[in-house]
Amino acid sequence: MASVKLTKVKKIYDNKVVAVHDFDLDIKDKEFVVFVGPSGCGKSTTLRMIAGLEDISEGTVEIDGEVVNDLQPKDRGIAMVFQNYALYPHMTVYDNIAFSLRLQKVPEDVIYEKVTNAAEILGITDYLLRKPRALSGGQRQRVAIGRAMVRNSKVFLMDEPLSNLDAKLRNQMRAEIILLRQKLDTTFIYVTHDQTEAMTLADRIVIMKDGYIMQVGTPEECFDMPKNLFVAEFIGAPKMNVLKTELVKEGGKYYVKPFGVKLEVTGEKGHLLAEKNIDSREVILGVRPEHIVLAKEGEPGAIPVVLEVNEMMGSELHLHVFTEDGTRLIVRVPTIDLTHEQRENMVNGHKLFITFEGKVMHFFDPETEKNFLTDEA
Amino acid sequence: MKKYSDLEFLALSKGKKFLYKLASFFASIPRGVANLFLAIGRFFKKLGIGIGKEFAEIVTTFTRGDWKTKLSYPVMGFGSIARGQVLRGLLFLLFEAVFFVYMFVPIGSKTGAQWLSLLPTLGKVGPHMEYNAVLDTHYPVYGDNSFKILLYGVLTLFFIVAFIYTWRLNVKQNKISEDILRSGKKLKSSGDDLRSLVDEQFYKTLLALPLLGIVVFTVMPIVFMILVAFTNYDGAHNGYSNSLFTWVGMENFKTMFSWDVGGVNYAATFGEVLSWTLIWAFFATFTNYFLGIFVAMMINKKGNHLKKMWRTILILTIAIPQFISLLYVSRMFSINGLVNGALQSLHLTTAPIDFWGTPKLARIMVIIINIWIGIPYLMLIATGILMNIPADLYESSRIDGANPWQQFTKITLPYMLFITGPYLLTSFTGNMNNFNVIYLLTGGGPTNPAASGTAGTVGYTDLLITWLFKITTGSETKYYLASVVGILVFVVVAIISLIVYSLLPSVKNEEDFQ
Amino acid sequence: MNERVEKRSMGLKASRALSNTIIYILLIIMSVIWLIPFVCIVLQSFRVESTWQVGYVIPQQWGFDNYIKLWETNFPKWYLNTFIIALVVAVVQTIIVLCMSYTLSRFRFKMRAGLMRFMLILGMFPGMLAMIILYRVLDDLGMTGNNSLPGLILVYVASSGMGYYVSKGFFDTIPKSLDEAARVDGATRAQVLNKIILPLAKPIVIYTILTAFMGPWGDFVFARYVSQLKPLGMNVAVGLQSWLATDTMTFNNYTLFCAGGVIVALPVAILFMCLQRYYVEGVTGGAVKG
Repeated sequence: MASVKLTKVKKIYDNKVVAVHDFDLDIKDKEFVVFVGPSGCGKSTTLRMIAGLEDISEGTVEIDGEVVNDLQPKDRGIAMVFQNYALYPHMTVYDNIAFSLRLQKVPEDVIYEKVTNAAEILGITDYLLRKPRALSGGQRQRVAIGRAMVRNSKVFLMDEPLSNLDAKLRNQMRAEIILLRQKLDTTFIYVTHDQTEAMTLADRIVIMKDGYIMQVGTPEECFDMPKNLFVAEFIGAPKMNVLKTELVKEGGKYYVKPFGVKLEVTGEKGHLLAEKNIDSREVILGVRPEHIVLAKEGEPGAIPVVLEVNEMMGSELHLHVFTEDGTRLIVRVPTIDLTHEQRENMVNGHKLFITFEGKVMHFFDPETEKNFLTDEA
Repeated sequence: MKKYSDLEFLALSKGKKFLYKLASFFASIPRGVANLFLAIGRFFKKLGIGIGKEFAEIVTTFTRGDWKTKLSYPVMGFGSIARGQVLRGLLFLLFEAVFFVYMFVPIGSKTGAQWLSLLPTLGKVGPHMEYNAVLDTHYPVYGDNSFKILLYGVLTLFFIVAFIYTWRLNVKQNKISEDILRSGKKLKSSGDDLRSLVDEQFYKTLLALPLLGIVVFTVMPIVFMILVAFTNYDGAHNGYSNSLFTWVGMENFKTMFSWDVGGVNYAATFGEVLSWTLIWAFFATFTNYFLGIFVAMMINKKGNHLKKMWRTILILTIAIPQFISLLYVSRMFSINGLVNGALQSLHLTTAPIDFWGTPKLARIMVIIINIWIGIPYLMLIATGILMNIPADLYESSRIDGANPWQQFTKITLPYMLFITGPYLLTSFTGNMNNFNVIYLLTGGGPTNPAASGTAGTVGYTDLLITWLFKITTGSETKYYLASVVGILVFVVVAIISLIVYSLLPSVKNEEDFQ
Repeated sequence: MNERVEKRSMGLKASRALSNTIIYILLIIMSVIWLIPFVCIVLQSFRVESTWQVGYVIPQQWGFDNYIKLWETNFPKWYLNTFIIALVVAVVQTIIVLCMSYTLSRFRFKMRAGLMRFMLILGMFPGMLAMIILYRVLDDLGMTGNNSLPGLILVYVASSGMGYYVSKGFFDTIPKSLDEAARVDGATRAQVLNKIILPLAKPIVIYTILTAFMGPWGDFVFARYVSQLKPLGMNVAVGLQSWLATDTMTFNNYTLFCAGGVIVALPVAILFMCLQRYYVEGVTGGAVKG
């Protein structure tokens, strides 16, 4: 049970490349924090600095109030699950899980109890005498988790633990990690490049890019109120549509003018604009595919588009369309909203009309790419 | 030279592409040389700045330091002991004590300082006869020992460098400790220090013994021998019992590269031996390489059911100590050996063939017998790599319509060359220094009459390395000449390695292979 | 159409059979060439009627005379010398090489790159050069000539750290995350080496022991320098070579040499053949890793 605090943590490699810039983060006790970002963004490096596997160039890492910069990994009270599991190939599953306890000179009967207990929770009791190479990917994953579990550590670190599994198993293990978290009730720091994992697992997400923190917040905050264009495009699938357009203030109301139509900004975003008293200006408008709806010809705000690709996902359609000026957009339409005939017509070259939901638009500054509605802006 | 863009280059004809590549290779040479000098310049600049910084830090550490730090300047380790890091401090102090004892207390015959003071002359008093009035005889008196002066002189220099480095470490230690204490943290205890030697500093423990061995048994002897190249140390000047030896400057190198030293042509001999060394290394490396690949492919061909047996037979040459097979095969081909016996009893020849007595034949024979020795190694290596070539490369090339020969030249060979580039380099330089094969087969013979008068008995199959051996073990041991040859071997190997390193992408980056 | 396909496949089969036959013939010829010297040396070691070289292979009179005669020479002493040296070298050299290669594979310390470059350059000097001075120093310490054993061991072992390439290459293939996992699990670096890396490095440990053990059996140069051809200080290579040094000596000792060669080769070759799997692994890995 421990809090983790990172203050101005920096990683500079020998070749002067800065991998992590002034990383500040306060992780509360029992919190589940996910570091997410594209590869090379410094998320794993940060995790490894917390673990003590990388030197901390500048700044401090505190675990439970104690500065651990100069402590060896084993003295930091952490447990870690690695991407490729890092199971010791020459030991049985039992010995793998017992390894850390044996190093601590725990009596064998205690070890037996702890290992079998962990094995039972993870459902690997039948494999205790097997060597790792005789296990499937999912089973290896469980052993790796078991090895971390028995350490009774204050912080549980996971470095892309699911990325070596196939899609189906990944979904299953994701659910199991949620269950595990409920059982262990400890602090988790989890690294992934998959935004779905981040959204489903995290209490708080830390989105990183090129060594900088882009946003820290709950999954809802990151989804509803992305602080910048990067976060907006990174979170959510399919990716958010973005286009340069004008924000116009007319008689206390706000409008955007994409593709020659005029759409009113309503709901919370409209209020915020008014509250901050934003003037008319150039903006980057972001609209998530699920917030674009089909419209009828002649309807106010209807934008004519041509269908290019139709991806049938089962419960929904992902329509790739382009407008008259050639801008490509993605539209997500629930299958249930369409008639059979409409679905039949969704073929390449089909002309249709769309419009944007006024209450769920995102605005970014074209220069800084920041969301000027969030507090700091 | 005109530079083409990628697309322009692709549009060129085959011949033009080749010419363009050739031209750009040669065009890059001046830049490469310039870069080398620039790098050397940068190195010295960095060195200068580094030394300047060190001095500045030494001064500031002293002026800003407390009395413990200040006292550590003359008494090494004092600061550490005073701050409770007893182990570190004692080690520093011990080192300082040993150093000063070595330098100023005579152990054996002289102190370190005395050895050092004799280094510029390598000794003044040689062996001479002295008259003893009581016995009324002349008896020999031995004076200085040039060999020991050079040896201990070098040792003393090493020691001084080590001392300066340790002293600097001692100063730095004080600064670090002060900084740590100032920031309110605790210093590591002696126990922590010991523990860290099996943990985060484990590499120091692991490296201590191997590096000590390398420094004492490789680095120091090589430094010594490089210095010998600038003396006249030989059998007649052994530095003690017959005559002292002394510095002669570049004289020995001049001798090696002059056409006429008292009627002896060293330069021609050196040229002859060097060129044969290179020819030998080239053929020994590449005949083995290609034949080895060929044999490996034959053995591993689909449908060959006795793979294991063929391999075992070949491996036998590796399993049996090489000197036995080499000595035996050498005798097999001697005038009254088995081969001549067989040839004569089959009436293929009337007179025995003198395999080892005719220069050209002897040279061809060593290369052929080296193939016999070398193919098994290459077969093993090639087998390992062939197995690793992804099968889908062959499958896709077959679908693209490649025949077996094309598959070999377009897939197998480039893959092998890429992977084994570094190996080819080490194998080439290894063959340049392949003492055993040459010495045990021919002993360097047949003797080259043109080289008579130079040191050792130079033969037509002598490599630089066997020549070196002969110079040091023959009747007149011209050690100075041996070290000149040794240095030249180094120069040649270094030049070849540099060229290959700059050409081969796969040798450059060690981490690429991880 | 069908006919053509049939014809083609027939052709394919026929050509494959043909090429296989050619390959078999080539391999058989090769095997004979490779085996002849070994067969001859064994046969001639049993030749009793003469001690010199002859133009035929099959002895006219068979017997163990040469082997019995070996006992009356210094050969047993040489053999013992070599055996003791090989044993000690196998142990010490393996430890040194493993220390060196593990360190260079796993630790990233400040001097690492410089150290490796330095050793690369150092390796370009002929090792024989160092022997000239080492001989004089060892001579002063009384470790040469008839008493060459400790001197030779020192010479073989001392610089063995420079031969780290092959085993470093092997260590590099063991994932670093295993080290990291073990360190998180509470192991010190020394425990990581003992409990994780060494058990996994068994093939390369055996390879290193094997090559270290075989080295002294085949070394000629260093043993020649250190022993200075003193009768009791030689190893088998120098000793057996000394029997064939001149024509007269060859005349007297040729069959004796054959017998000695067989006695030397037999145990070494058997050991090697038993462990050849590890050797092959090391050699191929070493070539690929450079």
